[in-house]
Amino acid sequence: MTRRRRLVVAAVGLLAAAVAPAAAHGAGLSGAADRSLSVPTWLFLTTGGGVIGASFLLASFVTDRSFIRRVHGWRRGGLRPARAAHWLGRAVGLGGLAAVLVAGLVGPREATRNAAVLTVWVGWWSGYTMTTYLVGNSWPAVDPWRTLAAPLPSLDVDYPDRLDAWPSVAALLGLVWLEVVSPVADRPRFLAGVVAAYGVVTLAGAVVFGADVWFRRVDPVARLFRYFGRMAPLHYDDGIRLRLPGVGLDEPRLVTSRAEVAFVVAVLWVTTFDGLVATPLWRDAAVTVVEAGVPPGLLYPAALVAGYAAVCGVYALAVRYSKRAARTYLPADVLARRFAPPLLAIAAGYHLAHFLGYFLELAPALATAAIAPLSPPEPVALVLPGWFGGIELAGVLLGHLLAIWVAHAAAYDVFPGKLQAVRSQYGITVAMVCYTMASLWIVSQPYAVPPYVT
Amino acid sequence: MSGGRASAGDTAAPTGERAAPPPKPPEEPAVCGHCGDRFADDRLLALHRGRAHREALTDAEVEAYREARTEERDDVRLFRVKALGLLLLIYFGFIYVYAFVL
Repeated sequence: MTRRRRLVVAAVGLLAAAVAPAAAHGAGLSGAADRSLSVPTWLFLTTGGGVIGASFLLASFVTDRSFIRRVHGWRRGGLRPARAAHWLGRAVGLGGLAAVLVAGLVGPREATRNAAVLTVWVGWWSGYTMTTYLVGNSWPAVDPWRTLAAPLPSLDVDYPDRLDAWPSVAALLGLVWLEVVSPVADRPRFLAGVVAAYGVVTLAGAVVFGADVWFRRVDPVARLFRYFGRMAPLHYDDGIRLRLPGVGLDEPRLVTSRAEVAFVVAVLWVTTFDGLVATPLWRDAAVTVVEAGVPPGLLYPAALVAGYAAVCGVYALAVRYSKRAARTYLPADVLARRFAPPLLAIAAGYHLAHFLGYFLELAPALATAAIAPLSPPEPVALVLPGWFGGIELAGVLLGHLLAIWVAHAAAYDVFPGKLQAVRSQYGITVAMVCYTMASLWIVSQPYAVPPYVT
Repeated sequence: MSGGRASAGDTAAPTGERAAPPPKPPEEPAVCGHCGDRFADDRLLALHRGRAHREALTDAEVEAYREARTEERDDVRLFRVKALGLLLLIYFGFIYVYAFVL
């Protein structure tokens, strides 16, 4: 949120003379909380937690296994995409990549007018990512690196199995660290460099291990979009098929190892971390810690890793409690794998809450910059109405509700006893309630520029 | 705890995987004669057999499954009453707090 939010503050700030100053507050949910200040923060947070708890109780009323199976097994369609669609996807991906590199290197230096910055953050990371969980994962068809890697020769070195998905976990954390501390959303030249470096690493990896192995096991972006795509209504299964949103998350084959559980938890944690570093509390804590003698360069990576470890610990604890409550002989690892995918729905909910407003506000600027990338006109930003914060809050809650339902369905699939399945969710529901309250607290905080970043 | 992706078969009918005893396990786990899975009590075992090995059940096992289902239905009914009570508590609790605060 940090860097990109600054971008929106800058863009909307151009309009500040014309519109109410409140609009310059920027994207994200902070605006939502400002508007509902008559409700004290503790009550706002407790209500969020209460909604999650209540929806768990409501879900537990559904005890009919065949009903759950019917809902989750519902499919329609089977349309085979035309050959032209593949080419179109590739053309869009390659065209977008070329535009980012060219506009990044030779376009205007102001971030709000630069097509590279707007394409990456507004078009791709906000808008396109939303389509992966709201519509379907089209990334394998669009991914320009995959298109470029396809014709390259491969050394077919065996990918070490013990590495599993750990490189994607590390890469995801690394990318978020880079996003928070470096000027990737402020300086187009730097952004183009990061994109190019990512491409070099990706292509090298694809050559060494084979493109298929690389994009299936290592590439963090491909993995993220594949996971998000599991909750989307459209999916590819011998043709494009329609299903109910979220039901794909309950398939046992989605997360099959400890490293993949770690990746799911990392997706959840980075969405939170992104918001956390833009709160006044973080600002005060960071200043205190650095004044006590900790080098500023160490601050963000340490907080990122420590927070990640803490979230992993909470999840492990919730799973352990789940095992105890269900009195099952299944190993905790099996439960951890089975109950991890619903967390993706929560992460997607936060992504929507963080980025829907941001995307809509800056979409006009992206459009104008895309028309004339090298000499764009003055950026235009949309000012969203006050009630828009409500839609963003709904995103957070809907993500949690979907997660509660999917975990409920997964528990019914795993356990023979109905009450055993309900009991197995106690620990996980408590963790979700705490997580909701923490996240709502973050989004209710006013935006504070993260200290010690360039 | 067995790690790794070797144990990917955690579907409705896991095989031989239920080998990690829960905290405070029963003295003697109920073991499924069809697949060797273990359960904390006979009722869970009966329910498991009815779901996972429906075709291969003996008459006694069918009877045990039916009994377990009936018992479970009663428990679920009681649970629903409790859950409804808790929901009402949350609902009116919040109404009360909101009325008090705002």
